[in-house]
Amino acid sequence: MRAFLIRNFLQRLLLLFFVSVIAHAMVHIAPGEPSEVDPANPRMKPEDIAKIRAAFHLDEPLHLQYVYWMRDLFTGELKSFKDSQPVLPKIAGRFVNSLPIFICATLIVWTLAFPTGIHAAVRRGSFYDRGSTFVAYSLISIPGFFLAYLVILWVVQQFGIPVIGMRTFGASEAQPWLRFMDRIWHLVIPSLMSALVGIAVLSRYVRSQMVDVLQQEYVRTARAKGLDNDTVIYRHALRNALLPFITMFGLMLPALIGGSVIFEQIFAWPGIGRLGYEAILARDFPLVLTINFIAAVLTLAGTFLSDVMYAMADPRIRLS
Amino acid sequence: MACLWDDYTKHLSQTYLFVYAGALNPFISTEKMILKRLLLLVPAVLLVILLQSVLWVPGYESQAKGNPKRLLQFVEGSIGDAKLLNPILNADSASARIVSLVFEGLLKLDENLQLSPNLAQEWSVSEQIYLTVNPNAAFPDGSTVNGAELEKRLTDFFSAAETNEGSIQTIRRIKPGQRTQTITLDTGESVSVSVELTIRIPEVIQIDLNSVDEDFSKKISSVLGDDYEENLPRAEWISIDKPGLKNKVSRRLDEFVPVIEHNPVITFQLRDDVVFHDGHTFDSSDVLFTYESIMNPRNLSPRTSDFEPIKAVEIINDHAVRVVYKRLFSPAVNAWVMGILPEHLLNAEALQAEMGSRGISGEARESFAMRNSAFNRNPIGTGQFVFRSWEGDELIHLGANENYWGRVPQYENYYYRVLPDGLAREMEFRAGALDVYRPEPHQVDRFRDKFTYQTFSSLSMGYTYIGYNNRKTLFADKRVRQALGMALNNEEIIDYVLYGEGERTTGPYPKNTLWYDHDVAPISYDPQAAIAILNSMGWEKNADGWLEKDGEIFEFNLITNNGNALRKAVLTIAQNAWQKIGVRVNTQLFEWAVFLEDFINPGKFDAVILGWQMGPDPDLYQLWHSSQSGFGQLNFVGFNNPKADALIERIRRTYDLELQKSLTHELHAMITEEQPYTFLYAPLGTRVLDKKIVMLEDDDAYAPVQSAPSGDLYYYFDRWRKLEHVPIF
Repeated sequence: MRAFLIRNFLQRLLLLFFVSVIAHAMVHIAPGEPSEVDPANPRMKPEDIAKIRAAFHLDEPLHLQYVYWMRDLFTGELKSFKDSQPVLPKIAGRFVNSLPIFICATLIVWTLAFPTGIHAAVRRGSFYDRGSTFVAYSLISIPGFFLAYLVILWVVQQFGIPVIGMRTFGASEAQPWLRFMDRIWHLVIPSLMSALVGIAVLSRYVRSQMVDVLQQEYVRTARAKGLDNDTVIYRHALRNALLPFITMFGLMLPALIGGSVIFEQIFAWPGIGRLGYEAILARDFPLVLTINFIAAVLTLAGTFLSDVMYAMADPRIRLS
Repeated sequence: MACLWDDYTKHLSQTYLFVYAGALNPFISTEKMILKRLLLLVPAVLLVILLQSVLWVPGYESQAKGNPKRLLQFVEGSIGDAKLLNPILNADSASARIVSLVFEGLLKLDENLQLSPNLAQEWSVSEQIYLTVNPNAAFPDGSTVNGAELEKRLTDFFSAAETNEGSIQTIRRIKPGQRTQTITLDTGESVSVSVELTIRIPEVIQIDLNSVDEDFSKKISSVLGDDYEENLPRAEWISIDKPGLKNKVSRRLDEFVPVIEHNPVITFQLRDDVVFHDGHTFDSSDVLFTYESIMNPRNLSPRTSDFEPIKAVEIINDHAVRVVYKRLFSPAVNAWVMGILPEHLLNAEALQAEMGSRGISGEARESFAMRNSAFNRNPIGTGQFVFRSWEGDELIHLGANENYWGRVPQYENYYYRVLPDGLAREMEFRAGALDVYRPEPHQVDRFRDKFTYQTFSSLSMGYTYIGYNNRKTLFADKRVRQALGMALNNEEIIDYVLYGEGERTTGPYPKNTLWYDHDVAPISYDPQAAIAILNSMGWEKNADGWLEKDGEIFEFNLITNNGNALRKAVLTIAQNAWQKIGVRVNTQLFEWAVFLEDFINPGKFDAVILGWQMGPDPDLYQLWHSSQSGFGQLNFVGFNNPKADALIERIRRTYDLELQKSLTHELHAMITEEQPYTFLYAPLGTRVLDKKIVMLEDDDAYAPVQSAPSGDLYYYFDRWRKLEHVPIF
C-alpha cells in the first residue's frame, strides 16, 4: 500500500511537470500578444513595448521563461501582466468569491439528484420516469447560458429586482440584516442554474446505476427477506451503486478552481472562472499559467483521492 | 514488510467503513427512511432559505428600501475596467471617465463646446516674433540690411496709424545666445546618426504683439523687400559636431534658421482658491510639473504629441503661467483641458519616498517611473469628486469633494461598475442597480415609457465610413469613388441598421461643431448615374453581369473588424448594392488586432469599413495630410491632395474664429468632392436615465434633467439627484 502511494505520488508529480511544460509552451506559441505589449495598441510606442517586453522576459528563450515562471510562482513573486499585482492573492480572493455558489450548487445537486434518480429507477417506465427523463434531457440540451438569460430576463422584468453581481448595488448602507439577505438572494439564481444542470446530469447517472443494481440477485434476496422498500433501496442497493459517484466526487476538486466561466460572465460574478477567462483574452500569461497549474494539481489530487477511496469502498479492487 | 502494510491498510479501511456504517446505523437500522428524508430535507431547507431572501431585496420602484442614502448615489456601468487613473497616462475610455471626475484642467469645454475658464480664471493669447537679420539682403531702396536700421524701419513702419492696430507692443534688437539642437540623420543603408548642431544667429529682431498675427510676414514685406529671404548666410551660423556630415545637413538649413519664427504665447491666470484632495494648495508649479511629466520620455505619455509644439512653460508667479509655443498652432490651446497632476505627490522626491516605503530596490529602482507609482491606483486631483476606492475589475468608488472651489455635487457618492455583459447592464438598469444605460439602436424602443424612463439622444462626435485605398489604380480617380458612393442607399442603412438612430454625414468634421458645413450636399442615391459614370470611364457590363474593362472585372475586397454588428451589416448591404451595379465585392471580417496589424497599418487593403471618434478642434492633420500616410499612421487611405494639404496647414496657423470657420468649410467641401471615403453616418448616442433623477435649479427647485446644447448629457451632472418617487412637474 505504501509503495503504491509513493509510486503514484511520484508519477503524478512527473505528470504535473509535463502538464506545466506543455501548458507553458502552448500559451506562448498561441497567436496574440499580451495586450500590454500588443503592437496593435495605438497608444504604445515601440520603445515602450520593448521595455515592457524586457520586464516580462517575453523575448527570452522559452525554457528560460518557464524557469522564471516556476521560480516566481514558488517564491510568491509572480505578478500579473495587467496590473503588476501578485498572482496568488488575486486567485485566492476570487476563489473565495466562487466558493458560495459552488457549495450551494454542490449541496443541492448531491442531495436532490439521488432521490430523483432513484425514484425514476424504481418506477421505471412510469409517468414520473418518462417525465423526469424528458425534463433532464431538455435541461442538458438547452445551453446553460441561454437558460440563464431567459431566467434573468423573466425575473427582472416580472419583479424588477436585481439579479446580477454578488450584491445589489447601492445597498451598502442599508441595515446589516437587509444586506445579508441581499447577498443570499444574489446567490440564488447562479446556484440554482448550476444546480439544475448538475441535477439533470447526475440524476441520469443515478438512475442508470440504480437500474443496473436493482436487477441484481441480492436485491431480490433482500426483498425476499421481508425488508421494506426503503431499506432495500437506500441501504443495500444504493451502496453498491455508489462506486462511479465516488470517482465523480474526487473530480469535484478541480471543479473548485474551474469555477463556471459562462455563469460568472453572465452574472458578473467576480469569481475564478471569469478571472481565468479574462486573463486568457488579455494573454496575461502568469495568471493563465498559474490557474492552469493549480487546476492540474487539483485534478491530479482529486483523481488520486478517487482512486484511493474507490479501493477502500470496493474490496474487489486491489491497489497494486 | 510490504504485505504486512497491505494487511494493515486493508484492516484499517474495513474498520473505517465499519465505523462509518456503524455511525449511520442508528439512522438506517432504527429509522430506515432517514437517509431518504435527509436527501430531500437538506435541499428543501436550503432552497427555502435561499428563496425567502427575495422578500428583502430592493427593486426598481423601491430602490431606497431601508436605505435613503441610495438616492444620493449615482451608479454607472461600463464594459471594461479602468487601467490607469492618471490624466497624462491613461489610454482607455473607462480611465478617461474617472479621470474627468477626479482631475480638472486649466480650461474646460462649455455647453457649446467653446473653451472656457476652469482652473485658469482667464487666459490671453499674445505672440513673440523673431525676425532674423539678413546681412546679405538689401532693403527695397538698395541699402544693406543691418540690425539697427531694420529695427528703426520697422518701428517707423508700425508707428504709422494705418498699419498698427495697437497690437504691436515692443520692437527691439537682440543678440540671441547660441543654441544647440540634436537631430538624427539618415546616412544611407538604413543607418541613422545623431548629430548636434550649434546655431549662432548674430542678430534677431524680437517683436512682441498682444495677439497672434499669422500674416505678419506679408505686412512687413514692404519694409523688407521681396528678396529678403534669399542668401541668408545660414551655413556660417551653424556648426556641426561631426563635420563630415555637414553636406547632409546643408539641404535642410532653413529648418534650423527660419527667417521669421512665430512664438505664440498663452498667459494663464490661475485661481488661488483651489486645493487638491489632500489639502495641498494648487499653484503654477503643478502646471509646470504636468507639462514636464508629459514630455518626460520615461513616462511614456500618449499625450506627448499634443504638447510637442510647446517651447517652454514659465512660472510668472504662484498663480500665473506663461506658455510659449515654437510655431503657429491654433489647436494648441485645446490641449489645456488636460488634468493637472499634483507635483508634491509625483515629483522625484515623492517617487523616491515611495520606492523606499514599498521596499523597491536594485534593478527595479532604475526603471521605476510615474507609470509604476501607486498614485495611478489612488489618484489625488482637484476635481468635483474625490477618489475613495478601487476593487479591481469590479468597482471604482468616488465621493463628492466637500472642499471644491466651485459647485459641490449633489451626489454624495459615485460608483463605476464593471459589467462587461450588455444584457447584465440592461438588467441592472431595469432593476434599479444602475442609474444610466446606453441602449443599442434596436433597444431604444423599449424605453419609451415616459413615466419610468427619460431618454436623451445626441449626435456623438464620431462617424462611420467606407475608406478606399486611394493609392490603388482602381480607386485613384475620384469619379470611381463618387460612383461607388452613389450606388449605396445611405438612408436605408440609417433606417434599418441603425433603427433611425443616426444622421447622414457628408464630411470629415463632427456635425455638431462649427467646422461642419451644413450646406454641403450629400451624395445622392442614384445607381443608374453611377453605372453611367463607370461606363464613361470604360467599364462595360460583360456577359456575367459584371463591369469589365481591358479584360478585368471590377472586383475588390471590402473588410472590417469583427465584434461590431453594425459594421457587419453595412458590409453585406454594401456588397449587395454594388453587385446590383455590376461591381464584384468580396467581404471578410478580421479580429481587431489582426485587422490593424495586417491591413490598416501597412496600407494593404482595398476598402474598409471603419469609424472615427473626433475631437472638437478643427485640426485634421493626422487624418488627411499627405505626410501622414506612412506605416501605422492615420491617413491610411493615402489621401493626397496638395490643395487640401495647404488648407490643413493654414487652418493650424489660424487663430481667428471666423477665418477658421470659412477655411474649415472650404476643406469640408473639398474633401466631400474628392470622396476619399464614402461618408456613411454619424450615430446618435442614446442614454436612458431613471425618471426619478432630477436637476436642482439655482432657486433650489427641481427640474427635469437637461443635456447641454452640445449634446453632453453630463454637463450639469453636479446638479443631479434622485428622488424617491417619480416627480410631477
